[in-house]
Amino acid sequence: MAVAVLAAVTAVVLGVLWLAQGPQRDDSPADFGAAPTAAAPGDAGRTPGTAPPSSAAEPAAVRQAAPARVLVPGVGLDAQVEGVGVTPRGDMTVPDDPAVAGWYRYGPAPGSPEGSAVLVGHLDSETGDLGEFAALRDVRAGDTVEVRRDGAEPVVYRVTARTTVPKDELPPSAFRRTGPPVLTLITCAPPFEPERGGYTANLVLTAEPVDALQAP
Amino acid sequence: MRSRFPVALAASTGACALALGAAAPAMAAPSAEQDTAMVSVVHGIPGMTVDVYANGDELLSGFEPGTVTEPQSLKAGSYDIQIFEAGQGPDGKPALEKTVEVGEGDAATVAAHLGADGTPQLTAFADDVSKVDAGKGRLTVRHIAAAPAVDVRAGGQPVFTGLTNPDEDSAVVDAGTVDADVVLAGTDTVAIGPAEVNVAEGAGTVVYAWGSAEDKNLALATQKFSGMDSMPKAVHAGGDGAAVSANSSAWAPGWAAAGGVVAVAGVLAARRFAGKRG
Repeated sequence: MAVAVLAAVTAVVLGVLWLAQGPQRDDSPADFGAAPTAAAPGDAGRTPGTAPPSSAAEPAAVRQAAPARVLVPGVGLDAQVEGVGVTPRGDMTVPDDPAVAGWYRYGPAPGSPEGSAVLVGHLDSETGDLGEFAALRDVRAGDTVEVRRDGAEPVVYRVTARTTVPKDELPPSAFRRTGPPVLTLITCAPPFEPERGGYTANLVLTAEPVDALQAP
Repeated sequence: MRSRFPVALAASTGACALALGAAAPAMAAPSAEQDTAMVSVVHGIPGMTVDVYANGDELLSGFEPGTVTEPQSLKAGSYDIQIFEAGQGPDGKPALEKTVEVGEGDAATVAAHLGADGTPQLTAFADDVSKVDAGKGRLTVRHIAAAPAVDVRAGGQPVFTGLTNPDEDSAVVDAGTVDADVVLAGTDTVAIGPAEVNVAEGAGTVVYAWGSAEDKNLALATQKFSGMDSMPKAVHAGGDGAAVSANSSAWAPGWAAAGGVVAVAGVLAARRFAGKRG
């Protein structure tokens, strides 16, 4: 217990030190907004084993164009995107190259009419490079996110929510495959605790389609 | 084909009712979902297009061999199922008849098929639609063909062995395309295939071996169940800490100012504390 208390105190002290240290960035955003989680109208009765309505019964890979590049002009984020799955341990695969983002190909693609399309990128690499997704820290509500796709028109989203959570408390809504369409951007966030494997939190940004008509 | 059909298909042998699952919890609160079951129908009798009736009402018409219906929501209860050659019902003699009972919350598939000896029959299977881990899919094989025991191989390696009509076997496997074939049990004599089977992630893929070995029309039919996905366990998207290092002062204060650092650290510490006590 003493260890836990010590850890808590240390964490708080470190946080305060960060606050007090170096040039202050008062313009950095705190968490904001709330990601949509409710099922879409008419979807409430869907249970496991039930086929999705109408054309949604087709395999996602068939009807969805894969994302190729993601841009957040407001913070200078511009990353190639490649499809990723899960590791043998069941964690989401993250591209080794911190300049490349991963799209969770088992879930919806950006531009999908329903569910959460997930893009992930490294905050920093094992070799000391900052990741392209490190810029997510400075994203604010209302910022535009553009996803360019293979064989389809780009889709544009607007950031509506940001949350910072312990790594093992990722909101399930980030990976939902039904309900309102959103784009979810995930990277790591402090605290950084090498003895616990590195960063112990995730930064999760939620963006909603600017124009629903742009969804296929 | 009508969109709603009651559940039970039954065999002409008559009175054997099939219970498709445990009774619903008596304590369950009433809701629209809790008095229904999800039911699919598969037709595995070669050469006969059929109409399906339930409790005297036509459910499916012109139902072709080798086809599988989508899961349909049906009110839980008992259904007298009759299968007629197309256009012969409902006043003629059904080719097959059976009473099937489905309980609240059940998922079931009723198969009209040939027994191992070639006699048409109806079999009800309970469908496992429980969640699978991220990256996985549930592969199920059901033997409903007039054929002896078989092994099912993926990439040449047996994954299900000694499967007999009308049994099934199932496994949760990595999602992806499997090159599958069906061989006579214990041999390399290929009975069906090879065929590519797409095991979809977060879903159930059920493969039926149907038809007749004697008539040389053995084939595969595939059924899909969606909505069984789980989220990944975690997203590890960090490296050596460069983003919060002293050499990256432009980053560290910003993170702190964002307010997330202290809050998250506090949560983590609190949970560790709770963990010690628990």
